[in-house]
Amino acid sequence: MVKSIIYTVTAILLCLALFIGVEFYLNEQFGEFHDTLETLYKKVENETANREDAYAVRQMWTDKKSKLHIFIPHNDISYVDYWLSEACGFIYEKEYGLALANIEVLKEITKNLPGGYTLKLENIF
Amino acid sequence: MALIFIRTAIIFLTLLFIMRLMGKSQIGEMQPFEFVITLLIAELACIPMADSSIPLLYGVIAIVAIFILHQIVWLLDLWFKPVKTAVCGKPSLVINKNGVDEYQLKTNNLDVSDLIESMRAAGYFSLDDVYYGLYESNGSFSALENPDRKSSSLPVLLIDGGKADKKNLEICGITREELQAFLSAQDTQLKQVLVMTVSGDGRVYLQKRGEKYRILEMELKNKW
Repeated sequence: MVKSIIYTVTAILLCLALFIGVEFYLNEQFGEFHDTLETLYKKVENETANREDAYAVRQMWTDKKSKLHIFIPHNDISYVDYWLSEACGFIYEKEYGLALANIEVLKEITKNLPGGYTLKLENIF
Repeated sequence: MALIFIRTAIIFLTLLFIMRLMGKSQIGEMQPFEFVITLLIAELACIPMADSSIPLLYGVIAIVAIFILHQIVWLLDLWFKPVKTAVCGKPSLVINKNGVDEYQLKTNNLDVSDLIESMRAAGYFSLDDVYYGLYESNGSFSALENPDRKSSSLPVLLIDGGKADKKNLEICGITREELQAFLSAQDTQLKQVLVMTVSGDGRVYLQKRGEKYRILEMELKNKW
């Protein structure tokens, strides 16, 4: 009986710690990536973005997504992959107008994605 | 992650509520919450396993949520009696000294044929083989045996809830008119009869709705 209560309380505490940790982790990771996209957006707007900038953002996302796969559905990560690849392609080709549109979509996705996993009534139902 | 936990808890409570509403016929020798856990665990374990786009952690969290809910329900069961009744239900006395209790059967979404089936599984072939019969909260059937058990051949259900069973009438070689005549002799109409069974030796168990059962004799062409 005491053992069961200890197991239950431990499981509850571990779950709570995990929930809070994951919440902070997701917000932090997507926040950092959003800031990087913001910087890239400004560079693309000024038409100063080059292949290295695009590569650096891509590399950053690759590092992050390997850990994010543990916490969020892989389909959501694929959206970011898709739009980021397209944006990088346009930057390589110096199609800045089209790249801007893609980065705008990416910024919106990275801003909204963590919200889809937070404990809100609309997410529960 | 917390979302998965809350969603699992909602599904668990919904299933538990629905299982309680369905009555004892759907459970099959498990407490309702154990049955719900059995239903959920298999599915929760399979989805992340089969669908690689869902992180395995989602399945783990959902299963841990089920474990925590199971422990909470179990502890509440031990500490608070009203919670035990609400979650697990209580035994239903379906056969008493007056015969079959139709109200209790309906409360548990069962009919007379279900009751007879449960009795047969428990080794009782006639409704008057037991003094008291009850469905436990886990859906199993328990009975206090009548020491003067008289059934010597298999009783056949002729009337169940005011409706005659044509097939069984044919098996027994009884026409509808003969049945009507028998009921008229007992000052009864078909609709008023809750249950009527007849054994191969002509022994009849007849219970009118809201009345005590009677044991009668009937002339049979076919004996079994």
